[in-house]
Amino acid sequence: MTVCIWGVGTSRFGRQPDRLPAELAWEAVSEALEDAAVDGVDAAYVGTVFGAPGVAQRALSGVGLTGIPIVTVENACASGTTALHEAREAIRAGRFERVLALGVEHMSTMFDGPIAPEATDPEQASGLLLPALYALSASRHMADHGTTPSDLAQVAVKNSEHGARNPRAQRRRAVTEEEVLASRPIADPLTLFQCAGLSDAAAAAVLGPARRDHRDIPIRACALRSGEAWDQDSEHVWGFDVVRATAGEAFEEAGLGPRDADVVELHDAFTIAELITLEALGLAGEGEAAARVRSGELSLGGTQPVNPSGGLLSRGHPLGATGLAQVAELVWQLRGEAGDRQVEGASTALLETMGGGAAGLDGNGCVVAVLGA
Amino acid sequence: MTAARAAVTPAPVADPRPVVVEEDGRHLLAGGRCLPKGHALARPLPRCPRCRGEVVAARFGPDGAVWAVTVVHVPAREGDEVPYTLAFVDLDAGPRLLARLDETLAPARVGARVRLTSSSAAGDPVAEVVA
Repeated sequence: MTVCIWGVGTSRFGRQPDRLPAELAWEAVSEALEDAAVDGVDAAYVGTVFGAPGVAQRALSGVGLTGIPIVTVENACASGTTALHEAREAIRAGRFERVLALGVEHMSTMFDGPIAPEATDPEQASGLLLPALYALSASRHMADHGTTPSDLAQVAVKNSEHGARNPRAQRRRAVTEEEVLASRPIADPLTLFQCAGLSDAAAAAVLGPARRDHRDIPIRACALRSGEAWDQDSEHVWGFDVVRATAGEAFEEAGLGPRDADVVELHDAFTIAELITLEALGLAGEGEAAARVRSGELSLGGTQPVNPSGGLLSRGHPLGATGLAQVAELVWQLRGEAGDRQVEGASTALLETMGGGAAGLDGNGCVVAVLGA
Repeated sequence: MTAARAAVTPAPVADPRPVVVEEDGRHLLAGGRCLPKGHALARPLPRCPRCRGEVVAARFGPDGAVWAVTVVHVPAREGDEVPYTLAFVDLDAGPRLLARLDETLAPARVGARVRLTSSSAAGDPVAEVVA
């Protein structure tokens, strides 16, 4: 059975400490239900990382969704897309017909700057913040492939140009390479403008079987994996192998390859993450992603735009909500509703989210999906 | 009527960091090695993450090489002085370890030789760059 996305919605993105997580969820869920043209669902899967116990039930009760099975999932930055994956599987298994996938995260009341995995993570305990983990990947990528700070900055330049066209983005100003490199150093070689912003938000999607006479977007494939051991025997930087393995499963189910996607949303929590992910997904050869970014092919107007929303770098990164915000962007793109950032004629979309700490693991979780015809 | 007591302070979490021990003047990582395949682990886990094999205690180091390195400009914890240098260090025939780098003798770069020293005052593994 083909499961479709009936409707999507998001809250505003940005630091919103004066609003409760539930209020953000109401905004996203109300938009998604209206977009799907339904007034209820049979079950909900809710992705959140630092969300408080019961946040899902409290949030959903405020929009009249009570008495249904509600399952909260945590899978690092892939929590929202894990909710999508599980919602799809539940429909395919015949458990439910209409299922809500919701991601919600309130970051500004948890952190005031770079985020850390959590207190029992061995490397956080040794002082490793997430930007430092990605900076270490950048260090190795530079040594292996000759990647330069300028190459990294070009990712931020591209995505900021896209984000400037996205009315929902947290950062809506196109920045230059000089500005990116001159912004505050965080963990060398990463500077502030190369790090996704701390953001509070919710995003939602309503899933169900294909319907007649609707703008539903089919989920052609979706794969979920957790990381395997990542250690001295690993050939690649942290996170590469889990993305490659998950993408392999998704492409096999979809019956197509990375170059067949007309538009891509991927997990650019930091500039280096976009380069590594482009290579892991097979959108560029190893060490060749920077050249593909510079070619303009991955920009709006290019042959295969990547992160037309502006990505996490522009939209901000509300961990559990990020995956479903990516889904919302791709649904708008595939319906031709993406306004100034529309990828003309987009019919197939590729989605990737991954995250976690290191701790000897190649990431906690990764979801790769193919949407559209 | 007495005022209610505020919630008590919870206990701190157990220290999850890898342990560096001093033996005969050398600083060694107290990790583990799996029996079936000999995979080196930075911590003595019950089973090997690669092959599920049984693990026995093993010492590694003190020498190794920098696999990746970064200078961090934001404090991770209260009291951290910035900037500080963090590296993934591959210990010779041993596991990958996150360590702070002491660059007194030489600057850090990928591939630089390093040696484990005593842990920092905060308890973090430390390696000094030797060449």
